[in-house]
Amino acid sequence: MDTLQHLMTGVTAALSLQNLTFALIGCVLGTLIGVLPGLGPAAGTAILIPLTFKLDPTGALIMLSAIYYGAMYGGTITSVLINVPGEAASVVTCIDGYQMAKQGRGGTALGIAAIGSFVGGIFATIALVVVAPPLAQVALKFGPPEFFALMLVGLCLITGLGGRSLLAGLAMAVLGLLIAMIGIDPVRGAPRFTFGIPSLYDGLGFIPVVMGLFGVAEILLAIQQPHRQVIKTNLASLLPSREEWRRSVGAIGRGTGIGFFLGLIPGVGAIIPTFVAYVFEKRLSKNPERFGQGAIEGVAAPESANNAYANAAMIPLLTLGIPSSPTIAVLMGAFIINGLTPGPFLFQERPDLVWAVIASFFLGNILLLVLNLPLVGLWARILHLPYSYVCTGTLTFCVIGAYSLQQNVFDIYVMIACGVIGYGMRRIDMPIAPLVLGLILGPFLEKSLRTSLEMSAGDFSIFFTRPLCLVLLVLAAVVLVASALRLPPRELREASSN
Amino acid sequence: MPTAESKAAKRGWQIACLSLLAIFLPALVTSLGYSLIDALGPGPGFFPFWLSLIGAVLSAAMLAQATVAKADEEIAVSPPDRSVMLQAIGMLVALIAAAALFEPLGYRLTMLPFIAAMLVILGARSWLAIALTALAGSFGIFHVFYHWLKVPLPIGEFGL
Repeated sequence: MDTLQHLMTGVTAALSLQNLTFALIGCVLGTLIGVLPGLGPAAGTAILIPLTFKLDPTGALIMLSAIYYGAMYGGTITSVLINVPGEAASVVTCIDGYQMAKQGRGGTALGIAAIGSFVGGIFATIALVVVAPPLAQVALKFGPPEFFALMLVGLCLITGLGGRSLLAGLAMAVLGLLIAMIGIDPVRGAPRFTFGIPSLYDGLGFIPVVMGLFGVAEILLAIQQPHRQVIKTNLASLLPSREEWRRSVGAIGRGTGIGFFLGLIPGVGAIIPTFVAYVFEKRLSKNPERFGQGAIEGVAAPESANNAYANAAMIPLLTLGIPSSPTIAVLMGAFIINGLTPGPFLFQERPDLVWAVIASFFLGNILLLVLNLPLVGLWARILHLPYSYVCTGTLTFCVIGAYSLQQNVFDIYVMIACGVIGYGMRRIDMPIAPLVLGLILGPFLEKSLRTSLEMSAGDFSIFFTRPLCLVLLVLAAVVLVASALRLPPRELREASSN
Repeated sequence: MPTAESKAAKRGWQIACLSLLAIFLPALVTSLGYSLIDALGPGPGFFPFWLSLIGAVLSAAMLAQATVAKADEEIAVSPPDRSVMLQAIGMLVALIAAAALFEPLGYRLTMLPFIAAMLVILGARSWLAIALTALAGSFGIFHVFYHWLKVPLPIGEFGL
């Protein structure tokens, strides 16, 4: 009953003209980010944070969340029309979506993708409403040792599933945590790794680092790739035929379920659910040879999984304060910039904000369906924009974003340096996600560890004598051992890489 | 048979491992200068010390692995061609110059040539489109951010 009341209050707040406008702007910008190849949701959300600086926190988070799931929607358009995923999670959609476009069924592919995304997003948001409050209640009973162990599990999952090399994933996570130590020690107030540089006293800004690693690095990579041709296809007929509906309904349902459950696990990333949904459909099909030749289930299932994942991934963030992916970490950064710490206490301290943001997910999914179905031709035309203009625009926003957070030019230099580092890491397939997650979780992890040890007067047994903490630590160890033994299939590890 | 590209990737990994060591080892030494444990429990140096140590061990293990293992043919790094390399270098130089001039000249006077230069570097050829985009990206965006969104962007010494 309480939940329903909160949700209704949230819906009322989200339906205010101001918040509805923010959601609409976020959806349009997000779709644009998704449509433009080379600009992923993490970079896109990060570079648009300055737009929200002067908004109230509720409006800012509604807009940034809309940018996030808008980008997940928009990525499909490039996958279908130019065979290049607009964001990484749409890579699987290229396989059958592009084939459908080549056969003149591009409109149907985009239509079923939008419908599947809508169903996945709405279902995951309903589940979020049901699951989040009790989970937050449970998490309220966690002490610092449990939170430390929980964050460790999140980091281990991201590291274990984060690419070809477990060692590299671990080293990147440790590097992220170490970079997070730069600045004034939050417990004792002593400066660390500042070397007398005043700009380092507040630490390395998360946003400039992310903009560099994703935004600048992506542009450096993009200028190496030849321009891709937009395929000419029929975009007039968006709705599937009766036979195509029959094939798609089950695929959308299964994709939604897969996306939702995998979205609950930190570290899984956006690609794995789409990959699993696709493989699952192919295995289930009586004619698996149709996959890769333009099977509509090959678009419906991964797109439903993609959006169900995007919305479900908000559950660990809102209830536990654990980001599941770099993009969710950027959203967590946006919460922190607005003076809010995602986690169970947020449900108690700012229920008005949390429920307004959750309610906005419903509205956002409806807005995206409206934006994606009738306006698909307009989005397709954006693909004709010359890449030089797209890259220059992105860089301009990167410069504004890096500078305006603290009005410090030093942050622009940090962004440029991280851009070069990110480019190098991508070139040799070094995982970036663990670094980003380590960077955002570092201060919380350290604070939990030190508070725990202060509680026990320096005795480490506190982590092994509390049952839940022990279970979580064992889970973290199991994840690492399984990853070291290369138990997750190679395809999954590679799919989750960056 | 490892290709030149896979050998380049192997070298890339070795350089990355050495770079990581070059971060973790000095961090380890620096963290020893902070208090590891004090009367209240773990001090400011506790977490950095252990992280640097673990990071250094992991980097050394990665370096050994990258050196001993055969070049992985699935990870191939082909060097970008000359024109792409020049574009990338041009872009980075333009970014560094923009950062250096950002506060002295202000957003508008810095971004006007920056945007024009970036467009030329990345291959735009229509001078009218370049001029209009540079004006919109500098003066237009400044107006939107500074006056409408109240995001403080630098004005510069010339009042622009």
